[in-house]
Amino acid sequence: MTVEEFKLPDVGEGVAEGELVSWLVAPGDRVEEDQPVAEVETDKALVEVPSSYDGVVEELFAEEGEMVPVGDVIISFRVDEDGDAEATAGDDAGTEAEPEPESADEPASEPVTEEPDAEPDTPSGRTFAPPSARRLARELGVDVAAVEGSGPGGRVSESDVRAHAEGDAGSADAGGADDAPEPRPAPTPTDTGSDDRKAAVSKRNGDDATASAGAAAGGPEPAGRDTTLATPATRKAARERGVDLDDVPTDETRDGEAFVTAEAVNAYADALESTAEPAPEPEPVDLDAGEAAATPADAAATAGVSATDASGSGDETVPYRGVRRTIGKQMERSKYTAPHVTHHDTAEVDALVEARAELKPKAEASDVKLTYMPFVMKAIVAGLKEYPYLNSELREDDEEIVLKGEYNLGIAVATDAGLMVPVVEDVDEKGLFELADEVNDLAARARERKLKPDEMNGGTFSITNFGAIGGEYATPIINYPETAILGLGAIEERPVVRERDGASEVVPAPTLPLSLSIDHRVVDGAVAAEFANAVMEHLENPLLLLNE
Amino acid sequence: MVVGDVTTGTEVLVIGAGPGGYVAAIRAAQEGLDTTLVEKDAYGGACLNRGCIPSKALITGSGLAHEAGNAEFMGVHADPAVDMGKMVEWKDGVVDRLTGGVEKLCKANGVNLIEGTASFVGEDTVRVAHGGDGQGSETLSFEHAIVSTGSRPIQIPGFEFAEDHVWSSADALDADTVPDRLGIVGGGYIGMELATTYAKLGADVTVVEMLDDILDPYEDDVKRVVRERAAELGVEFQFGEGASEWAEAPDGGYLLHTETEDGEESTYGVDKILVAVGRQPVTDGLDLENAGIETDDRGFIETDDRTRTAVEHIHAVGDVAGDPMLAHAASNEGIVAAEVIAGEPAALDRQAVPAAVFTDPEIGTVGMTEAEAEDAGFDPVVGEMPFNASGRAMTTGHTEGFARIVADEETGFVLGGQIVGPEASELIAEVALAIEMGATLEDVAATVHTHPTLAEAVMEAAENARGQAIHTLNR
Repeated sequence: MTVEEFKLPDVGEGVAEGELVSWLVAPGDRVEEDQPVAEVETDKALVEVPSSYDGVVEELFAEEGEMVPVGDVIISFRVDEDGDAEATAGDDAGTEAEPEPESADEPASEPVTEEPDAEPDTPSGRTFAPPSARRLARELGVDVAAVEGSGPGGRVSESDVRAHAEGDAGSADAGGADDAPEPRPAPTPTDTGSDDRKAAVSKRNGDDATASAGAAAGGPEPAGRDTTLATPATRKAARERGVDLDDVPTDETRDGEAFVTAEAVNAYADALESTAEPAPEPEPVDLDAGEAAATPADAAATAGVSATDASGSGDETVPYRGVRRTIGKQMERSKYTAPHVTHHDTAEVDALVEARAELKPKAEASDVKLTYMPFVMKAIVAGLKEYPYLNSELREDDEEIVLKGEYNLGIAVATDAGLMVPVVEDVDEKGLFELADEVNDLAARARERKLKPDEMNGGTFSITNFGAIGGEYATPIINYPETAILGLGAIEERPVVRERDGASEVVPAPTLPLSLSIDHRVVDGAVAAEFANAVMEHLENPLLLLNE
Repeated sequence: MVVGDVTTGTEVLVIGAGPGGYVAAIRAAQEGLDTTLVEKDAYGGACLNRGCIPSKALITGSGLAHEAGNAEFMGVHADPAVDMGKMVEWKDGVVDRLTGGVEKLCKANGVNLIEGTASFVGEDTVRVAHGGDGQGSETLSFEHAIVSTGSRPIQIPGFEFAEDHVWSSADALDADTVPDRLGIVGGGYIGMELATTYAKLGADVTVVEMLDDILDPYEDDVKRVVRERAAELGVEFQFGEGASEWAEAPDGGYLLHTETEDGEESTYGVDKILVAVGRQPVTDGLDLENAGIETDDRGFIETDDRTRTAVEHIHAVGDVAGDPMLAHAASNEGIVAAEVIAGEPAALDRQAVPAAVFTDPEIGTVGMTEAEAEDAGFDPVVGEMPFNASGRAMTTGHTEGFARIVADEETGFVLGGQIVGPEASELIAEVALAIEMGATLEDVAATVHTHPTLAEAVMEAAENARGQAIHTLNR
């Protein structure tokens, strides 16, 4: 029987890390190869991570809600060769009844090769660690100067580095002079590690008490959340400063969860150090949920130290990662690849407003919230049918333009995490209510970041409805490799010139400002204008949409 | 691009095949990277051709002759005659074998070798001009470059190198006869190694040094051992004097004029003048500015802990990247550069770089001196073992000097070592290992050392620092 470690796989192009949203298995569970073990949210999508092994879950190495770099070990399995996995699982049940967030239970002889999540600086002073340990520290993204050494005089060994990387202070000799300097064998998954573990737990409880006492003596109040989002670099900073991320006060949130920056960690640690001596021992994560729950949860909401206030500097560093970076790369690629031209026009939409007002109660009766979006989508499809180059993709390497046979419209949705573009497929085949339903559903799930990757793929043309927030005209960036994007301003009454009784006069009328960006490599300005005219014709005469 | 140029590409371009460059190229090739090494002169660089290796050959030859002729005290009577031409020929044979070995190693590891002079034309392109007229040039594009162009001896105004009278260190290693009188400008390690060599070969050596002692960076008690031994060998020291000019003398020799700070002038009659006042980086002709790389005010290329220059995909290693200008540091940097390029977790995190001076006796140092340890905030404890208390040293007939070890009193971590004495260049390796491993005094003291060896002195020094030495009085 062997223990196999499983690393967070690269689940998508350019994905550097993912949030472990939920575990689908618990230690002791038997899993089969390809069975999903966890849900991980990466970049823009929620994906299920399948097991690579048949076996029994040994240990979970990440907490739900934790950001995990790709390549980090997240779970280990006991892979049975002789079929006694269940029996052995029972032996260790006492220590594995609940998910252990992190653990040092790993044979020292079996190096974990993890992707470095950042390039650690080389310490400038003397480092009392052999070259092999220093290299391992770089490999694991650990600042070797922050590792507590267990060797004579505090010399740092490879196993110290490993333990530090796993956030486990248990193998480091945290007790100082009182602890007998006798050599302690590295715990292995199959030995009597449970005793060691318990010792470490009780020791940490003691440390926690010290920290809490320090806090009570006038330091900042620990926020005591259950989960906290943070980047790996921030988690590293927290480990180095001996701060529990869940205790760091913050006003920031990501996806509704508290989000902590490195500055906030440092500010909190500084505040702790200035009031409590000695500083608490490194305490990377809560050992068990009960302990965390025992911390007053209401402190979280009222905890005072805000990141920017305490740091003293006006600047704040926000990681350029995940969704933000994906958006950035996509925009950069589009803008630097496709020469954009943006065509502006305004549709007078009296009839559209009327039509929608008429249909709205009927829609409500079917539990559908009818916006203007389905009408616009149908009008666009009408235009695309007439001007298929707007519904195309330039494949430069193949020297061809693909005129798409489907009308799949991407709808840009602003979410807290950034821009998402879910795709409504086959718009030409769907009715207004059906479209309304689908758009609402996709938009809602985009905001919850519950979209699956394939729900954001396959678009042939995109719409951005910035008017929902405000404004008239924009210069949208094409959702590459599509060829065009239509931006919608707000539908409002604006002054228009109309003829009445043979004379021109300025009257208020509902208008819809349109901003159409095209890839000029594929489409010329004249075609863009003709397409816009076609779309406007359908918006101004919604009866024409019956034809679609 | 010049019409007619051939453009080829390489993943890693290494410029200069010295101990930084060839090591980098081989490691890069071992990492599976397509690697090209450009060398304009000779494989192995200054170290193999004009520095470390040839000087050690002559130091050994001259030392052997001197030993043989001065061993009456142990009953050996001899009057050795030195054939300088033959000694240099033997030295050249050693150099040829080593440089040939470097070339073979590069080829065996799949490094593409190009002979020529590289200059940057952009951030990712160099032009390589092949040696000689009409040999043409080629343009090479690269993804990563490692600049390892090394250093050359500094010339001082009025003392331009000319083989027949003003020698550089390279000339002194290629002489076919021993001058009767040798004037050496500069009492640094190169000047002192050659002063010792030529004194043992029978020359009357005068060392002119602007400072008031030799071997500037070393501690006084280390310097004193070497200076006193050199004086025994007949080397004359003129401290506080700078070489001002030279002139031809009526006797066929030359007059070396010096001047003190106060303007006091002196003149020494010599047959050759050796100028050894240091080395400067070689960057001329590289057109570094075309790649966006600047040099500092001393001409060195600045690099970070991953050996990267300001232009991240261009690395610089060895002498051209600044102190310590030592071959083994260059090789270490070369390996780091190649591994960083290959994406390995490598960095320049060496704790100490050992250094050796091959005078008589030798000096080997690594890490911090006692004073440096204090400056660094340690509470240093020091242990020493004089070689005159070493049984093995007595049996070699060389008992000058001592081994010293510096450690942190609180933790016992070894911080540095200074050894002056027989085989100090070899002995210092143990202290270097101790420092790099984070070993304590106890670790060194409790490691059994072979008896009778000189290396026991290191163990004894560690015991001495712990107040537990057996063969010396503990302090």
